[in-house]
Amino acid sequence: MTTKVQMVHGGMTDFNIYHGYPEALVRGMRCSFLSDADYHHLTQCESLDDIKLNLAESDYSAAVADSDNLTPSGFQGVAVQKMVTEFTYLRTQCVEPLSTFLDFITYEYMIENIMLLLKGALSGRNINELLAQCHPLGMFKASTMRSIPTFEPNARGFADLYQTVLVDTPVGPYFAMFLQESSEKGGGAVRNVIEEVEIEIIKSSLIKYWIEDFYQFCMKLGGDTAEIMGELLKVRADTNAINITLNSFGTSLNEPAMRISDRKRLYPSVGHLYPAGTAMLADVSNEEELGRVLELFPAYSGIWNIHSTGNDKSIDDAFYERDVQQLELAFEGQMHFGVFYAYVKLKEQEIRNLVWITECVLQQQKDEIEKFVPVFSFHAPWRGGKKK
Amino acid sequence: MADMGTCTTPFCNAGWAEVLSHMSPYGYANFGIAFGLGFSVVGAAWGIWLTGSSLVGAAVKAPRIRSKNLISVIFCEATAIYGVIMAIILANKVKKPEQEAFQFEENWDFPSFYFAGYGMFSAGLSVGLTNIASGVSVGIAGSSCAIADAQDPSLFVKILIVEIFASALGIFGIIVGIIESNACTFPIAGIEQE
Repeated sequence: MTTKVQMVHGGMTDFNIYHGYPEALVRGMRCSFLSDADYHHLTQCESLDDIKLNLAESDYSAAVADSDNLTPSGFQGVAVQKMVTEFTYLRTQCVEPLSTFLDFITYEYMIENIMLLLKGALSGRNINELLAQCHPLGMFKASTMRSIPTFEPNARGFADLYQTVLVDTPVGPYFAMFLQESSEKGGGAVRNVIEEVEIEIIKSSLIKYWIEDFYQFCMKLGGDTAEIMGELLKVRADTNAINITLNSFGTSLNEPAMRISDRKRLYPSVGHLYPAGTAMLADVSNEEELGRVLELFPAYSGIWNIHSTGNDKSIDDAFYERDVQQLELAFEGQMHFGVFYAYVKLKEQEIRNLVWITECVLQQQKDEIEKFVPVFSFHAPWRGGKKK
Repeated sequence: MADMGTCTTPFCNAGWAEVLSHMSPYGYANFGIAFGLGFSVVGAAWGIWLTGSSLVGAAVKAPRIRSKNLISVIFCEATAIYGVIMAIILANKVKKPEQEAFQFEENWDFPSFYFAGYGMFSAGLSVGLTNIASGVSVGIAGSSCAIADAQDPSLFVKILIVEIFASALGIFGIIVGIIESNACTFPIAGIEQE
């Protein structure tokens, strides 16, 4: 006799039946982030040996103890592996609908891995090298991963790739939607060669479908999760839309004919900028016009000003800072799933910080070393502290 | 207006009012005991699994919180104890008549008979329902207490104060229950007339 799987999210009084243990686990992991003192010691290091010594006193002690690879990518590998171990442990402890939620978080990495393999196949890189670069959270079976770069780099090959390999993966539906969309777009104008720039466009489309799917799922869960994840995903979608527009200046995507047909299709249909903002963004042809569109949205005009005044911070840094502020807020309330997503993203930010610091130490660039965004820092601008 | 379905002979009840007022006070009293104990235990159990699951999860990364946070579980358990106390007090008050007979004796003290039945029912309900609310409330606060204590030990005592206020709700129930049930005594024989 099979029992129906219960998809219970639960409110304040019954969330803990199914999700109390994983939620308390991930909140316990909040203390595993590097603290202000840790960052201070790390920025004072003179060599990568010192960095390893300092990391051995933080939560990374077990992770770095076994590794002898003292390079920035070595540290990154170790840190990513630690996060993957923690995430896998969380994933094994949870039930529906939390397990589907955590799976959604991994789909993003799956899309990135597949695109990495396709891009690498185009430039003829070694398959083993590519597999080593893939993110562990988004891996399929080894045989599946190895078969992806073997397909031909044209529209026909892509359709074959979907039919034989990708349709069985969890991200299959996104590829199906993409293939359907590109066949609708035009019989004669279908691109016959998948070049590097178009891999980026395919990736943007797939990420768009993923964000929309994830958003619908969170809205269906309702409660605090819908509220918090809705906000986080909307901001993510807007960031993507702005980045797509910004990166398209100077490429063929910025031509007036391509803007409406191609670039507009890449904007997600969730987000504060949708629908009025994305309609305006579709017509933008240079940075000045982009600035004028973003002036209308107070949340993004601040970020755009940072970019346009052209001081030390790039627009990516401004986006990261804003993201960290919002993700930290997800830890403020209890009994919702937003903490899991926030935990993964904040760990990613910490790994980025680690790589930045180790690169600066390696290249002896002490004045650039402070340009990272610490997580849960007491000196954060939104906590009333002054940025060092 | 008489329905086709309702029976109107003298053997049938003439509506819910008659059903409720004709239920035996013994029945009312014993139901009061059952509700009092049952609802209290439901509230206590609810609170314990709310706080226990968070306690176990938070203790993985911060094992030092294990012993201190068992206080939250003890607060929840206290609500069940109130239910047991009330049930024992009430159960001791339910007495059967001295003489076995088909009908009650003459001069049976019906006023205090009915008073005892209704009073004990209400005492049991007051304890049971307040303890559900108290148990759930302590459970939610206890769950947050365990998670916060894992991050910052100085928060423990402050959140414990919230839990103390939450468990005071159960005390209100048992106080009212005891006051109410004090006046209830089941008669065991007819009133003697000189």
